Amino acid sequence: MKEQISALMDNDLALEDAEFLMTALKANGEASKSWATYHLIGDVMRGNKVLRHDLTASIMQEIAKQPTVLAPKPSLFKNKQVAFSVAASVAAVFFVGMVVLHQQSQEASVAPIEIAQAMPAEYLRAHQSMSPSNAAYFIQPASFSQDK
Amino acid sequence: MLKKQFLIGLVFSLLSLSSGALFAGQEEVWLMLQKASQAARELSYKGVFVYQSGNASKSVQLTHMNYGQGEYARMVVLDGAPREVLSQGSDVVIFSSKNEKIMIEKKRGQNMFPALLPSHMDALKASYQAQSSGTERIGGRDAYVVNLTPKDQMRYGYRFWMDKEFGLLLKVMTLGEHGDALEQIGFSQLTLMDGQNMDWFKPKFDPSKSYVMDQDGPAKANSAEMDWDVAQLPAGYRKVDQVKQLVQGKALPVTQMIFSDGLASISIFIEPLAKGARPKVGHTVVGATNFFALVNEGHQVMVIGEVPEAAVTQFAKAVSFKAKK
Repeated sequence: MKEQISALMDNDLALEDAEFLMTALKANGEASKSWATYHLIGDVMRGNKVLRHDLTASIMQEIAKQPTVLAPKPSLFKNKQVAFSVAASVAAVFFVGMVVLHQQSQEASVAPIEIAQAMPAEYLRAHQSMSPSNAAYFIQPASFSQDK
Repeated sequence: MLKKQFLIGLVFSLLSLSSGALFAGQEEVWLMLQKASQAARELSYKGVFVYQSGNASKSVQLTHMNYGQGEYARMVVLDGAPREVLSQGSDVVIFSSKNEKIMIEKKRGQNMFPALLPSHMDALKASYQAQSSGTERIGGRDAYVVNLTPKDQMRYGYRFWMDKEFGLLLKVMTLGEHGDALEQIGFSQLTLMDGQNMDWFKPKFDPSKSYVMDQDGPAKANSAEMDWDVAQLPAGYRKVDQVKQLVQGKALPVTQMIFSDGLASISIFIEPLAKGARPKVGHTVVGATNFFALVNEGHQVMVIGEVPEAAVTQFAKAVSFKAKK
């Protein structure tokens, strides 16, 4: 399900084929949560400034939770500050999350792998195929695992 | 009087012949190797040879014919996955059975056993020392033994067994730095053929299976397009080819440069690292084949060769990138 949501977002899945997905998304369960999260991840990775996750909604919610005080200037000023600090803290958490997310994605993609752990069979094959004297090419082709 | 002179001459020539075989100097040994190289291409023979590398061992049936119109050979791998090679001159076609299909692959010729030695010994003389090392019996035939000792750490040593009568290469062994056998190929039986019957020159595969032609051959790579170079090649090696090809699972074509000293060969693969791809680094070895990988200027550099670790390492580090314009 999650993979299909991701595929839909990347246009790898045609909308016509995703009717059941849309139903699931509308049902507002785990699927719609994934939908939102993936968009968020996408935005962060693309470096979009406008984050589509319900950040704005949650900030508005926090603001709405604050009692509306119809009073003279001083208290209004105070309330604004509270709302601002809440929004700021949410944003700060978000920022940290973004940094962590960014780092994770970078680490996963850039950390080199020891060649012994990932035998480059396709390269060995190309080497054997092209070298001027090589006994092994057709006798014992490079795909060791496949051939045994 | 004339008869006496003739006899003396005969005795002297016999003496020089036998001493030549026993205490063969460098030149005679090189001539033996030269003869082996020619015999493998010019004679007609058939037999079975065994290829051994590490724990793997495979028998191959070989038929080779040359009757003036050129060379024809058929090799059938007898163990494991069915595979056949037919070659005519420098054209080689490989048939391999894969699942329910037969893959057909065309490629250019290689120096294949027993024609492993190059036609000219000059390149080898620069990198190896040749010594005669007595006689032995191989595959029912008497053979001269010759050792090729490398002059540096950039290649392995080799031991060759050559048929006394026909000069044909009967067996070859690749020797590691400590004289240990890394790989060997040798005839377990061999007979010379005459006649011109070509009935054997066809592949034996189930005709009901479907055939798949493997078409994506490598394309020649243009040096001018490359922004890298291999500075300071280890002595004795020269570039024999460079190609660009698509490797399975890679979006961008990979450049391959092939180097050889006449016996040992090394490939360098260079490709720009795709964003997010995990680069490979470090060293590993399988049988006689050493691998060394590193990342340089955003490129994956990988070196593979049937050479010691020192050689693949030096080649990988010799790759330098030209300054970006």
